[in-house]
Amino acid sequence: MDVRAQIVMVFNLDKCIGCHTCSISCKNIWTDRKGAEYMWWNNVETKPGVGYPRHWENQERFKGGWVVDGKSLKLKAMGKGPTLLNMFFQPNLPKIEEYYEPFDFDYGNLAGAKAGDDQPTARAFSQISGKPIEEIQGGPNWDDDLSGSQIYAAQDPNLQEKQVIDSYASMFMQYLPRICNHCLNPACAASCPSRAIYKRGEDGIVLVDQEVCKGWRFCTSACPYKKVYFNWDSGKAEKCIFCYPRVEGGQCNACAHSCVGRIRYVGVLLYDADGVEGAALKGDAELVQAHRNLILDPRDPAVRAAAKKNGISERWLDAAEKSPVYTLVKEFGLALPLHPEFRTVPMAYYIPSLSPVLSTWGDTHKLLEHGMIPALETLRVPVGYLASILSGGNREVIEEALKKLIALRVFMRSANLKKESDSAALAEAGLDAAAAKRLYRLFTLASYDERNVIPPQQREEQDPERRKQQGGFGILKKTGRGR
Amino acid sequence: MLNNLIFIALPYAALALVLLVTPYRFLSNRLTWSAYSTQFLERKFLFWGINPWHYGIIPILTAHILGFAFPGLFKPFLGNQQTLLLVESFGLGLGLFALMGCLILLLRRVNSGMLSRVTYGSDWLVLLLLVFQAGTGIYVSYFLRWGTQWYLHSAVPYLWSVVSFNPQLGYVAELPLAVKLHAAGAFLIVAVLPFTKLVHLLYLPVDFLKDPPIPYRWRTK
Ligand code: SF4
Ligand code: SF4
Repeated sequence: MDVRAQIVMVFNLDKCIGCHTCSISCKNIWTDRKGAEYMWWNNVETKPGVGYPRHWENQERFKGGWVVDGKSLKLKAMGKGPTLLNMFFQPNLPKIEEYYEPFDFDYGNLAGAKAGDDQPTARAFSQISGKPIEEIQGGPNWDDDLSGSQIYAAQDPNLQEKQVIDSYASMFMQYLPRICNHCLNPACAASCPSRAIYKRGEDGIVLVDQEVCKGWRFCTSACPYKKVYFNWDSGKAEKCIFCYPRVEGGQCNACAHSCVGRIRYVGVLLYDADGVEGAALKGDAELVQAHRNLILDPRDPAVRAAAKKNGISERWLDAAEKSPVYTLVKEFGLALPLHPEFRTVPMAYYIPSLSPVLSTWGDTHKLLEHGMIPALETLRVPVGYLASILSGGNREVIEEALKKLIALRVFMRSANLKKESDSAALAEAGLDAAAAKRLYRLFTLASYDERNVIPPQQREEQDPERRKQQGGFGILKKTGRGR
Repeated sequence: MLNNLIFIALPYAALALVLLVTPYRFLSNRLTWSAYSTQFLERKFLFWGINPWHYGIIPILTAHILGFAFPGLFKPFLGNQQTLLLVESFGLGLGLFALMGCLILLLRRVNSGMLSRVTYGSDWLVLLLLVFQAGTGIYVSYFLRWGTQWYLHSAVPYLWSVVSFNPQLGYVAELPLAVKLHAAGAFLIVAVLPFTKLVHLLYLPVDFLKDPPIPYRWRTK
C-alpha cells in the first residue's frame, strides 16, 4: 500500500445556478493575459450541450485519454514513436475556432467617435488579430441555457433520447462547472515529450512547468477534458493550477471561494497509488467502484501508519478525517467522477442533479402522491444521460445516489413540517437519521470551514530556516514571442 | 577579403554567440524557450509547410553533422560510385522537399489574418535564412555534383581547423561562390540561433521515451 494524499473538489450539481461567477473569478486572477484570452480554466457549460471547447467529449475527434490495450493502458492518441513523428504538426490539436476567437468591444469609439447623425457603436474586434469581427461565431458558453438547443443540445453525445429537446414539457437542463480534474493518471502528463507536466507528490496538483514546456502541444488533445490550453503568445501550455498559491496558504480555490451557489467542497482524500493503474483498467461499468476502492479510510490505523511512513503529516491525516470530500465520495457514494471511462482517474467529483424537481404540467396527482418530491422514475433527467456523464454508463450507481438524495429530501421535508419523519425511505436508500442530518447540514448550512478543509502544506510545516528564500514574488520574467 | 569574412570572421562570431548567448538565455529566461508553434492559429498551410520542411531538413542536417564528426566513417562508403549516386539523389530530393516546406512557411506568413499578431522580425529573418540556405544547398548539390564526396575533403577538414582555432583557408578558398554562400548562410543561422525560436532544436524531446508515464515532483523528497 503506497498511501498518497490528493486535494479534491466536489461539485453539487443540484445547487449550481449557472451564474459563471467561478469562471470570472478564475479569469480575473489567472488568465487575463495576452495569449490566454480564450482560456477558461474554470468553465460552466449547459447540459445537454456541446460544451467548451465544442465537442470536447468526443474522443474520436480529439483522441484524448487512455484506452485499455490488453493488460495495460495506452494513450488513445498515439504511442511514443508517432509522437516524435507528429511533433511538427499535431493532428489532434483543437483549433482556436473550437474554443472561440476571443473578442472585445471597441468602447473607446462610444466617446471618441466624430460628431455625426448616427449613434456611435462599440464594434466587436478580435483579441488576436485586432481586426473587427462582423459576426461573433462563438464564446465560452455559446449554448448557455439551451440556446440553439436544436443545434447544440441535440449534438450532446450523452443524450440518447434526442426527442426530449423537441418538447418544452420534457426538456431538462443543468449546469456542469468544470476545472482540471487533477487526475491520478493524467494523460496530459503522460503525453508530454519534454516531461514538463508533473503531479505534485504531496497534494496531487498537476502543473505545467513553464520553464520546461517547449510547446509541443500533445497535452492539449491528450487531456480528454480539454483542460490544457495552448498560449498562442508564450508558445507554451497552461492549465488550471488548482489555485496552489491560495491552497498552500490554507485558502480554498478562487472558484470555490466565490461560488454563489456554494456548491463546491474542497478536501483531502487518501488513496493507494499502487492501485491506480489497476483501477483504470477496469471495465467501464466498474470504474466508479474502482475509484471508491482506491480511496482509503483515514480512520483505519493501518492506512494511517502507511501514510505516516510516506511522510503524510498528522495535520493532513486530521484534515483527511474531516474531509467533506471523503464523506460525499466514499462514505455516502453521492459524488461521482466525470467521465471515468476516459481512464485518467479524475479527481473532481459531481453529485448528480435531481432538477428540475417539479414534475411536468398536468401530473398534479403524481406530485401529491410523492409529496412534491418526484420519485426516481419521474425525474425528467434520464438516468442514462447522467450515467453517460458520471459513471461510465453504470445506471445503478446513479440510481443509488439519486435515491439517497430523494430520501434525504423527503425526510427533511417531513422533519421541517413537523410531521412524522419518514425514515423508511431513508433506510431503503441506505441512510439513517444521523447521516441525513449530517448530509443536510453539508448541503445547506455548512460554513466555509466545513465545506473547505484544507490542511497547511509541508511548506508551513518545515523549519522556518528551510523555508527562507523559497518564497517569492511570483514570476517576474516576461514570456512571449518576439523577445 | 570575402574569404576572410566568410571563413574566419563569420564562424568565430557565430561560435562566440552560440556559446555565450545560449547559456545566458537558458539561465536568464527559459520562459522564452519554445518552438513557438503557430498551429493553433493557422493549420491548413502549416501542414504543407512544416512537415516537408522538418522531414526534409532533419536527415540532411544530420548527414552534414555526421560527416563532420566522423569523416573517416563515410569516406570508404562513398567511394562506391553507385552508393554515391544514390545518396546524392536522395539528398537532392530531401532538399527540394525542405525548400518547398520553408517556402510555404514563408508565404504563409505574408497574408495571414491571425498569424500577423505572432509574426515578428525574427520570424521573417529565420524563414528568409532558411529559404536561402535550402536554395543554395540545392544549387550546390545539382550544379556542383558529388558534394557528398568533396564535402568530406574540403569543408570538413576546414571546419575541424576552425574548431581547433587554427583556421586553414586553403581547404575552402578556391570553392565556387555558391558553396561559399552556403557556408556563410550556415554560419549566420548558427549566429542567430540563440536569439530566435531556433533554440528549440537544441533540445531533443526524448526524455519521455524512457521515463515512467507520469512524472512526480516532491518538495520534500
Ligand atoms: S483533467 Fe486533463 S489537464 Fe487535468 S490532470 Fe486530468 S488529464 Fe491533465
Ligand atoms: S459560481 Fe458556483 S453556482 Fe455559479 S456557476 Fe460557478 S459553480 Fe455554479
